[in-house]
Amino acid sequence: MTNYVFRRLLAVIPVIVGVIAVVFILTSIVPGDPARLMVGQRGDPATIQKLREDLGLNRPLWQQFIDFFKGVVTLDLGRSYRTRMPVIQAIAERLPITARLALASMALAVTSGVTLGMVAALKQNSMLDYGSMIAALIGISAPSFWVGIMLVVLFCVQLRWIPGTGTGDGSWIYLVLPALTLGMRPAALIARLTRSGMLEVLGQDYIRTARSKGLTEKAVIIGHALKNAMIPVITVVGTGMAEMLGGAIVVEKLFSLPGVGRLGIEAILNRDFAIIRGQVLFMALIFVVTNLLVDLSYPLFDPRIKYGRTWRRE
Amino acid sequence: MKNKYGGTYRMAIIQSPLSLDPAHAADTSSSRIVYQLFETLVDVDSDGEVISNLAKEWDISDNGLVYTFKLRQGVKFHSAIGEGIITENGGREVTAKDWVWTFKHIIDPDTNSERAYFLDMIKGYADYREGETEALEGVVAKDEYTLEIVLDHPFAPFITMLAYNTFSVIPREDVEMWGQDFGFNPVGTGPFRFSEWIQDDRVVLTRNEDYWRKDEEGNSLPYLNGMEFRTINDLTMQWTEFGLGNLEAIESVDDPYYHEALEKYPDSFLRKPQMGTYFYGMNVTAKPFDNKKVRQAINYAIDRQGIIDRLRNGRATPAKGVLPPGMFGYNPDLEGYTYDPQKARKLLAEAGYPDGIEITLQYNTDDIHKRIAEAFQQQMKDAGIEVKLRHMDGAALFEAMGKGEATFFRLGWVVDYPDPDNFLHVLLNSANFGPLGNFTLYKNDEFDRLTNEARVESDPEERRKMYQEAEKIVVEEAPWLFVYHYTTEQLLQPYVKDYSLPPFGEHNAIFYSVWLDK
Amino acid sequence: MPAERAKGMVPDNNRGDRSEGKVCSLWRDAWERLKQNKAAIAGLFLVAVITLAAVFAPLITKYDPGVQLVWTQGPDAQLVPPGTDHWFGTDIYGRDIYSRVVYGARVSLQIGVASTIISVVIGVILGAMAGYYGGLVDDIISWLTNVIFAFPFLLFVLALVAYLPPGLPLMYAAIGIVNWAGVARIVRGQVLSAREKEYVEAATVVGGSDVRVIVKHILPNILAPVIVQATLGMGSIIMLESSLSFLGFGIQPPTPSWGYEIDQGRQYLLAGAWWWSAFPGFAIMALVLGFNLLGDGLRDALDPRQNVGEGR
Repeated sequence: MTNYVFRRLLAVIPVIVGVIAVVFILTSIVPGDPARLMVGQRGDPATIQKLREDLGLNRPLWQQFIDFFKGVVTLDLGRSYRTRMPVIQAIAERLPITARLALASMALAVTSGVTLGMVAALKQNSMLDYGSMIAALIGISAPSFWVGIMLVVLFCVQLRWIPGTGTGDGSWIYLVLPALTLGMRPAALIARLTRSGMLEVLGQDYIRTARSKGLTEKAVIIGHALKNAMIPVITVVGTGMAEMLGGAIVVEKLFSLPGVGRLGIEAILNRDFAIIRGQVLFMALIFVVTNLLVDLSYPLFDPRIKYGRTWRRE
Repeated sequence: MKNKYGGTYRMAIIQSPLSLDPAHAADTSSSRIVYQLFETLVDVDSDGEVISNLAKEWDISDNGLVYTFKLRQGVKFHSAIGEGIITENGGREVTAKDWVWTFKHIIDPDTNSERAYFLDMIKGYADYREGETEALEGVVAKDEYTLEIVLDHPFAPFITMLAYNTFSVIPREDVEMWGQDFGFNPVGTGPFRFSEWIQDDRVVLTRNEDYWRKDEEGNSLPYLNGMEFRTINDLTMQWTEFGLGNLEAIESVDDPYYHEALEKYPDSFLRKPQMGTYFYGMNVTAKPFDNKKVRQAINYAIDRQGIIDRLRNGRATPAKGVLPPGMFGYNPDLEGYTYDPQKARKLLAEAGYPDGIEITLQYNTDDIHKRIAEAFQQQMKDAGIEVKLRHMDGAALFEAMGKGEATFFRLGWVVDYPDPDNFLHVLLNSANFGPLGNFTLYKNDEFDRLTNEARVESDPEERRKMYQEAEKIVVEEAPWLFVYHYTTEQLLQPYVKDYSLPPFGEHNAIFYSVWLDK
Repeated sequence: MPAERAKGMVPDNNRGDRSEGKVCSLWRDAWERLKQNKAAIAGLFLVAVITLAAVFAPLITKYDPGVQLVWTQGPDAQLVPPGTDHWFGTDIYGRDIYSRVVYGARVSLQIGVASTIISVVIGVILGAMAGYYGGLVDDIISWLTNVIFAFPFLLFVLALVAYLPPGLPLMYAAIGIVNWAGVARIVRGQVLSAREKEYVEAATVVGGSDVRVIVKHILPNILAPVIVQATLGMGSIIMLESSLSFLGFGIQPPTPSWGYEIDQGRQYLLAGAWWWSAFPGFAIMALVLGFNLLGDGLRDALDPRQNVGEGR
């Protein structure tokens, strides 16, 4: 297995380099001068020029590219153009709230989704089954910001159950609505995948064998069917977490949460290339690491899967 | 006797501040917080008059070149910030030497302060900036509490300009120690000292126990225990939080719930005209705006009052000219453009466009701008003008404006200091083409002469006459579509007392005498 | 060729040669299965109704979506609740929201269809090349696909939309450029497995050129998962457009776009005018739901035993 992990990690490097290359190309063709922006509505050309010098904007692109990677090795991603704060610090300060939101949303999604899907599969074709699958479909189809808005109007303004938006005094209650909004879609996806995965497995040979061996219904279900159904679910959880850790932009805007997503939007709007590069690098790394972890976890759920086979994950 | 002490004042701001270093705080969010942490030589009261702040009194020489300031004694820098971290300066007293160092620091090319060029009339500015001299010739400490500033040429708005937040005194030791990070660890002399800054979330300030100012009875100020500035990007969410009681104040009450706010908070919804103008600028070198009749036609084709009434709940003053009401030099008898689509059509035909014209309006993405732009587009149709709308983020807009590519753009201008120079000279004098402020590339020799002379003229009546004449020229030539003048507002919880709206923009409100009646 | 392979050259009805004559009967089977799937028919119905409404918009709406009645009828026309004259009410300019929702369907469908076509075309071409040629070509294309995947999707599209001059076509391109990776990956996988199949080897032996082989034999087989992916992807793209509009990027006024309307209407929600946000929201839900149901149905119908991934 270590061989596999090592090979995978090696394969990651060209991808990361590619991602950063794309960022550099994009930011170089973009209209809008970060230095010009920093002086506000009006500024004198001399100050703007000097700013450009300080930020290294006048150096050739390939040189900026090399310098960036030199920095990566020493864990120095530069300083934000806008605030002069070190990029790593800027991301690190916002990570906790994004991580808390991502974990809360995913936990909510997995518990509700798996339960719903499992029950629907066991009671296939009942009202419960149809009802939950319709709910799941609506969950996938409703725009999350729209749902979020409704939740705020209902729970904050009308019912006053939730004291407000933002981070408040830091207590968990402020995470409830954002987690519900963000977790709705994954919950629906997971419910559907759990249901179809279990249905598929419940009819198969090795289940019948297990039953005939005399195992209890419960052991059969959880031990085998559910476990196998988890494979696509784990994939969804993995990609979902990676996306969320990159910053749930819409939810963060709606609920005024100071997370990584907000950092990204502000950076884009202000042509803060230093932050953009750093953040994209960070998100790409999270993506590949999560992928790797997800792949490594498959054998836990289906012993038939081994490494080295051309498992189409790439 | 009521106990006025205690409480934390929480307010919402729409954008996170960029830097709490006065030398770099060029945006309103940063300025607003800087005003609480730092202090300038003079201040401007709610009527727009210059009053003393850290300078007890001052004297201007007859030729208008030498400004002598007598400094207040007993003003101390903050002794601690954050979680009781002692500052480098230790809480010592401010002297004239600190002011000399401060001005030097601002103009220092290594600091690269965004507003250094405001001071280019100080003697020795150019030499110091280019590295020819070690010290700034025009700023001298005459003795421990006397500061003298010498100018190269008279500049009438100079004293008013000194109220701008960049020109606050800063402690040399701390600035040198923190370097680039001073903006995250600000040390000043203000009524509040810096406590905490959670990025994109909030800035927390606490009471400065050693603040020099006292109230009428001799009690120490401020009354508040602290202040919290929460970043809430969205106006609807700000209103929601205010309604839930999580904020003491918000400053932008958006139109959808404007009437509700008026009903619910009749006494604590403060409004007053602000020194700002909302306009659409036209690049006078680009077709079809190079023809004066076209520009005038557009000014006749807009129903200003209609837009203000229907879309902005009547919360603005239609603009006849450049200068807003309340500003020195404002001309209440100025004749502006009326709403006359027929006349607009006629003018277009005279200009050679009998079938109308097609233009593109560029503006930055914002709900209010969008609403007004859509209404404007509709109204222009009656005059035969086809308007295409393009909204974009501020960065792209400024870039386009700076390059002259945005031929028809929206801009809202609020004064940096309450003097007509800040409007007429900066925005329309031909010396300021491009990013310096004149995005319309407007050039008129008579106008240039008037605004240049008014800068150095010391007689206020003469200045007033010059500015009014200059404004008349601009209105007739119409390089702008004059839309409306801003209104400053602040919605407060009813228990907030003794707050007064500042003269030129909510961001320079002071809070040392505000208290909460709870 | 070896004798064993020659024996194995019997066309398999379920998974096998779908080239030429076999195609018709397989598609017909799929259609039969689809017809029986009630949910899929419901989805098809939703999509069809909305599409027809978009196409025939001028015929089914009384008011022009851009006309601001507030200037002709005064403040009484502003924020009228849903009623007999304005089925979905009016907005702050007095514009009829029903019209705006109907015309808004045009924007959503245009973006969905155009972006999907672009991503499918790019994805199929690149995926097929990667799968068929293997080797260096495969390595490069796979690397490119992974770079696209690793890129934060929303940020990327947001950046493109923010930086490029506004306009619908550029938005299609932006979304298409970012979205093709999913299609490419599926196509590549399909082509890889199809390549092993006997009939392909037979075809190459007989002397078909590469392109001919790809087009005539391989493509018909990969069509099914691509169609499913495309249909499910439409739903995601429509949601993406509305998220972008909500964040303030994208469609320029006064073109009605559902996401833009939800954002504008949201500010008036607390003042009581719920209809401005609600109806566009329902519209998005209906269209996305329709595509999702249809996509699911197609997946079950085209190959009941194949497990193709969910839309992004």
